[in-house]
Amino acid sequence: MDTLLTAEIAANAPRYRRRSSTFIDGIHDVSDEPGNLAPAQLYSTMSGRLFHSGRIAIVMVGLPARGKTHICVSLARYLSWLGVKTRIFHLGDYRRATVEGGHVPQDYFYPNASPASVMLRQKILKKCREDIYAWLNHENGQVAIYDAVNPTASGRLALAKEFAKHDVQTLFIESYVDDQEILKENARNVKISSPDVSDDGSSDPLQAVDLFKFHGMDPDEAAKYYLKRIEEKIPVFETMEEEELNYIKMINAGRAFYYNNVSFNYLSHRIVFYLTNLHIKSRTTFFVRAGPAAEEDSYKADGPLSEDGREYAKKMTETLLRHREQERQAVIDGDGPDLPLRPLTVWTSTRLRTIETAEPLKELGFKVKQRSQMSQINPGLCEKLSERAIRALYADEVEKHELDPYHHRYPRAESYHDLAVRLEPIILELEREQSDLLIIAHESVLRVLYAYLMHCSTMDIPKLKFPRDEIIEIIPAAYQNEAKRIHIRGLDPKTIPGSPEDIRIPVPNDPNGQDSPIPNLSSLPEPAEPVAMGAPEKIVSKKRKGMVSDKVADED
Amino acid sequence: MAPKMNGIGIVPEDTHICVVMVGLPARGKSYIANKAQRYLKWLSIPAKTFNVGNYRRNDAPHPSADFFDTNNAEGERKRRAAANAAVSDMMKWFKSGGVVGILDATNSTKERRKWVVERIASEGVEVIFVESNCDDEELIMANIRDVKTTSPDYVGQDPEKAALDFRERIRNYEKVYKSINEDGDEDHLTYLKIMNVGRKVYINRIQDYLQSRVVYFLMNLHIRPRSVWLSRHGESMLNLDGRIGGDASLSHRGEEYAYKLPDLVRESVGSDRPLTVWTSTLKRTIATARHLPKEYNQLQWKALDELDAGVCDGMTYQEIADTYPEDFQARDKDKYNYRYRAGESYRDVVIRLEPIIMELERSEDILIISHQAVIRCIYAYFMQKTQEESPWVPVPLHTLMKLTPRAYGTELQSYRANIKAVSTWRGKGSTAKHEDPVPEGGV
Repeated sequence: MDTLLTAEIAANAPRYRRRSSTFIDGIHDVSDEPGNLAPAQLYSTMSGRLFHSGRIAIVMVGLPARGKTHICVSLARYLSWLGVKTRIFHLGDYRRATVEGGHVPQDYFYPNASPASVMLRQKILKKCREDIYAWLNHENGQVAIYDAVNPTASGRLALAKEFAKHDVQTLFIESYVDDQEILKENARNVKISSPDVSDDGSSDPLQAVDLFKFHGMDPDEAAKYYLKRIEEKIPVFETMEEEELNYIKMINAGRAFYYNNVSFNYLSHRIVFYLTNLHIKSRTTFFVRAGPAAEEDSYKADGPLSEDGREYAKKMTETLLRHREQERQAVIDGDGPDLPLRPLTVWTSTRLRTIETAEPLKELGFKVKQRSQMSQINPGLCEKLSERAIRALYADEVEKHELDPYHHRYPRAESYHDLAVRLEPIILELEREQSDLLIIAHESVLRVLYAYLMHCSTMDIPKLKFPRDEIIEIIPAAYQNEAKRIHIRGLDPKTIPGSPEDIRIPVPNDPNGQDSPIPNLSSLPEPAEPVAMGAPEKIVSKKRKGMVSDKVADED
Repeated sequence: MAPKMNGIGIVPEDTHICVVMVGLPARGKSYIANKAQRYLKWLSIPAKTFNVGNYRRNDAPHPSADFFDTNNAEGERKRRAAANAAVSDMMKWFKSGGVVGILDATNSTKERRKWVVERIASEGVEVIFVESNCDDEELIMANIRDVKTTSPDYVGQDPEKAALDFRERIRNYEKVYKSINEDGDEDHLTYLKIMNVGRKVYINRIQDYLQSRVVYFLMNLHIRPRSVWLSRHGESMLNLDGRIGGDASLSHRGEEYAYKLPDLVRESVGSDRPLTVWTSTLKRTIATARHLPKEYNQLQWKALDELDAGVCDGMTYQEIADTYPEDFQARDKDKYNYRYRAGESYRDVVIRLEPIIMELERSEDILIISHQAVIRCIYAYFMQKTQEESPWVPVPLHTLMKLTPRAYGTELQSYRANIKAVSTWRGKGSTAKHEDPVPEGGV
């Protein structure tokens, strides 16, 4: 499923929205299920709006290659996690849908553009705004994030005024970058690392011909050239100084912030809080289970790894390091820059078996941090009870649990919701981390963290499975995250399935028989990737290039 | 759950942060410092304020303004020695488990800030400067009036003379005052600069999560004088039976309280200025608020709902003790952390109240009508009650509390409606339906 193709078709539909697919997270999806609470939502209201904050338009400001799209996707992920109904409106999608191939006239962004160009611009803007109002007024949305350049002060003032007329408060977020190093790196990451633009490059307003020139060009040269083209294309850009507007200026990718607050409340402070933890560097996250423990495990006991467990730790380490090396080689083979590997940091919980699983990596000199918030879900009184015993002892509880496995708590236990709320600091630290990150934790913790990054619904979270023979890699792409599975070969099959140490809370039977954390995999008619058992050594998602080149066209 | 876990799940792992206040006198520095300390402690993060003025007072108890003149070498030496003593104590405190130390002083020159960074960073402690910058004359004067009556420097002195002296002292500071990075050569520092009580905020080089959390909280503060009013709902039908939780209507006496509340509030506010009323989503708080004047804006917060007693909802304490004897004991042993089966603990309530506290900090003139456990948590926040104390604080029915945060602590005034009500307070181990609170420590 090609996201871009979907975008073009869908954008012409009455109500446009991006779609996720198998390996792509659901950040652009909207849940239609009534009463579906977000993972870390503390309460719900009749209106569906939280914190008494009313309806808010978050308007992005900044030239291309300033990480705007990354900021709004991340922010949407966090707000949705808190339960704030959030949608992103990328103006670029509308432009691509309106203008064939995305070719806009040369003067499209000029202040003195020709009447035809102005008309075109108006048409595209109008369609996007209509969708924003529909979202806020008729679909119970609380926050609309409007992803566009918004280069002039007069334009921004007019926009805030128009939103106010519709009883929508406006908060601007500008990504301002004057550090040349950051600019160059952004340009490199976004544009140059995807020389293969044939499936999308034609839609770039900078025109495909420019991008083909990048092929084989020195990365620094290409980045410089790209930035120069942005300036030519969008000659007027005024940084925000409008006293009367609410705005957050994020300077040099979060090194500093300036916050002009006229009338905003809790939610906007929360947004600043989140942004102070965000960076715009690209890095991947790996999830892996801890090895099996020596003695029969329990929540309270904290046993060391078994022989198998240590074997597992070694094999996992080898597979991971080989994979990272292969990925780097693939970039070089694809004429990409020969960059050193990003550093890798390892997080474990404070449980002995997670710490010991990280041991081989620690010996190799990787930094390992223990995080006590990542301790597994508390099983309460059900610990060590068989499923049959739980059904016999707590028949009522089982019934309730099956209705809402995410929010229900067994006696004295934590629910997944409790776990998600307790993991919030970890989520912010996750955003803050700049190195590649390997998380070794209990399956319950992996479920929740995976759900944050891949935007899973709360009904799916308790059912996600992380077999031991897979390392899950989450790769950030321009518009969303993608997941990839890396097979660990040569493991004793008895260590792989289920969670022998898992609390045996009877999760309702999954009708789809899922065996992967990737939601609804088997319900899709045609998976984008082969998912047969005995998966290949390495699944390379072909999506990745597509995703990045998708981003190439983001110019508004 | 790991025992080290606290209210929001932060375990600060080896992080030591020194929050260094910056700003002229009467800009609300001590107020901010104390607030930050209170908030962090409420979230179970060890925090402590080190007020340099207190150290200096050992040497110079009632100094006149010229003590603060930079040309006064003796004064300068004494102030430097006081700062040094405060920092030394803070470093000792970090070694005994402290996490966030707050250095409360003016730190108004670049030289002083450079000294602070060198002194503290060399011990592996992160430094974050927090500047309160304000040019609103009215606000400054209000602060001066407040300080001159509460500051230990002016105890027993003529208020008029004190105010004059204090303004003179500020002038001495103004001569040398430099806002952080005003000259552009302090860009390497981590700082938060709050202009005119949050109208504009600068944030520079936040290094870790805990710093971002502190910044987040401070952004929500304002230093305008204000009060918060707390009341429980009027007596409910379930209160009469000594049953907990539920969503009952008001008793006859509870209705009386609802009628009387507008007068009580007006008496306490002392004027006709309207308050904003926050209730829970339960019937008894909404009913209690319903006779308040029309111009009082009313909002219902789910987060203000009573602690969820789970399977025990609607039971009496005797019934709980009979049905779940182990639970009943476990709760008395550690009431703050005990979570009712399928319900909540006080700790859970604190977590869900966090947005409320944030919103409360940035608002003015709020009246909260809520429930016993919730009011206890909010009360504990303002009055700095420990986790052991807070779940046992008596919060009688039919009583309005007015809390006024001041630089050196929160002031409490209680207004009784003189309408009889049952007591819902319960002593440790007791299963009595209605029991009179032990006299000491009462609200």
